Amino acid sequence: MNQIAILSIEDEPEVREAIRRDLRPFEKQFRIEVSEDISDAREAIAQIEQDGDRIGLVLADHRLPGETGVDFLTKLHADGSHYPVRKVLLTGQADQQDTIRAINEGGLHHYIAKPWEPETLVTIVRDELTEYVLRSEDIDAMPYVAILDGPRLLEKISHGSRID
Amino acid sequence: MHAIKRLATGKNLSLLLALVAFLIPFFLEIPGLSEAGHRLLSIFLLAVILWVSEAIPLFATSASVILLLVLFLSDVAGQLSWAWGMAAFPEGMTAPAYTTFFNTLASKVLILFLGGFFLAFGAARFGVDKNLAAIMLKPFGTKPSRVLLGLMLITGVLSMWMSNTATTATIMAVVLPIIATLAPDDKFRVGLALGVPFAANIGGMGTPIGTPPNAIVLGALSKIDPATGETIGQCSFLQWMIFAIPIALLLMAFAWVLIVFMFPASKKAIEIDMNVKWAKSTHATIYYVTAIFTILMWVTGALHGINSYVVGMFPVVILLSTGVVSAKQFRGLEWDVLWLVAGGIALGVGVSATGFDTWLVGLIAWDSMSRVVIGIAICGTALLMSTFISNSAATNLLAPIAVAVAGAAGASAIIILAFVALGASMAMALPISTPPNAIAYSAGTFTTKQMVLTGTLIGAAGVLICFLLLRPLLHIAGVS
Repeated sequence: MNQIAILSIEDEPEVREAIRRDLRPFEKQFRIEVSEDISDAREAIAQIEQDGDRIGLVLADHRLPGETGVDFLTKLHADGSHYPVRKVLLTGQADQQDTIRAINEGGLHHYIAKPWEPETLVTIVRDELTEYVLRSEDIDAMPYVAILDGPRLLEKISHGSRID
Repeated sequence: MHAIKRLATGKNLSLLLALVAFLIPFFLEIPGLSEAGHRLLSIFLLAVILWVSEAIPLFATSASVILLLVLFLSDVAGQLSWAWGMAAFPEGMTAPAYTTFFNTLASKVLILFLGGFFLAFGAARFGVDKNLAAIMLKPFGTKPSRVLLGLMLITGVLSMWMSNTATTATIMAVVLPIIATLAPDDKFRVGLALGVPFAANIGGMGTPIGTPPNAIVLGALSKIDPATGETIGQCSFLQWMIFAIPIALLLMAFAWVLIVFMFPASKKAIEIDMNVKWAKSTHATIYYVTAIFTILMWVTGALHGINSYVVGMFPVVILLSTGVVSAKQFRGLEWDVLWLVAGGIALGVGVSATGFDTWLVGLIAWDSMSRVVIGIAICGTALLMSTFISNSAATNLLAPIAVAVAGAAGASAIIILAFVALGASMAMALPISTPPNAIAYSAGTFTTKQMVLTGTLIGAAGVLICFLLLRPLLHIAGVS
């Protein structure tokens, strides 16, 4: 269906639920996937791509069973095919080293410290998704005007050429 | 099974349909229509289906139309003895040179439009559109109905010079934050979101470069009348403004009253936070001077004798030579719009070169109809068609027919063509009617039903206004 997906990776069930709840405003227009760990997340990405959808935003915890969130983001960043994907760390446990690595090697776009305010999360997700839509040349910004940052998206629409 | 399903999607079906429609006239014998006319009918049917369905992009259809005209109806066909070869033309008519069709890609109206693109490009780049909006909005105060009037007038004025689409996007970016400050049940949210696209559609009528339909009918007007050896009509930039702006203003006033009446504000005052910040770089200054100079040259054509098409080349030359528009930006202009318009003009050339027009209008006894009825009918047809398909595509299809109808009914070509162009711009009843409507709809503050109701009333009022005023206004403008 060509939807943009938000992928959240979080191992604790209660926190997963909180994220799911906070992302509800985006449900109508975006596909939301919540994974427990990195291998689960990889499967989700494969599934998303198989369905013809695309991954627009990763919201990753750092400390997870198995591979860490920063490892995952770094690999995602190195894989050029996911270039415009927005990457956000949502964690309380990343030390300075991890964070530096996430920024330098993972192309991190935003860091949210746990615990978070729901409004903050919504604002950041909205901004990052707006950025994703603006940077993806083949995406029509119009369906997202109401749900993302409308004025910024309209700027893109006014420069694109639709014919009167 | 999946593959079959995928192939049977709407687009592929439309393509197949277009191909079939194209082939049909080759196997039919229509009495009174020459062989060349049959071929033209083929191309026309293909164009109708492709422009309506948008199975391929609008400009791709235009390019196809031009190529098909060259292959089937120009002197090139005569060299294809191994294929379909030359068609028989009606008596006294010969196949046009293939360059006739290629040349439509550099028609004078395209140059005029290109000049408009350069002005619009600079307006967006240096923020002139937003600055003008901020300045012009100030005197309207904070009363909601006045703010709406101000927004609509600014949108209209800007869209006379920029594309309706870009204008709507620019002004909606200002309007969205205002809407966000209104209570969820405030009807004025609807009013604001409807007023802007309506004003942009209406404003596009105002100048020859306001919207592609205007350019298409001006292109059709430059057809040479074989009887006199002159073009079938003349209309300068200023003359267009003289007859079109009063109609646009009246319709805008109607739209405003309608919206204020139907969607009154519950808030007493609306604050708009817009800063005026003029860019002061050398490039910006060059642009300001060029824009003012060009517009002045356009409206004073009668004084200096340089026609608007030639003036259209001035901003192109100035802004390119001074580097205000870079190579990359030059490449990024809306060339697709120009090609779309060219396709319509080429189709018009084909229609008259094959005698297809004479045959088509010969099907109806026009003498028995009053010219007024004809005008209304054609205006209504343009309105109806462009409610569902692109305004430009509708005009591309209707303009050649309008020219023929005018000839058969003994009416002046410009009045019938003006009915077509204005009618196309009045179509705003659905979110899909025009890109401005679609943009406003995407903001999610009004329902389709609300747009249908208001848009239909505005369209009807528009036809009525044209019916009453177009002829006297053309007379005042001195257009023949």
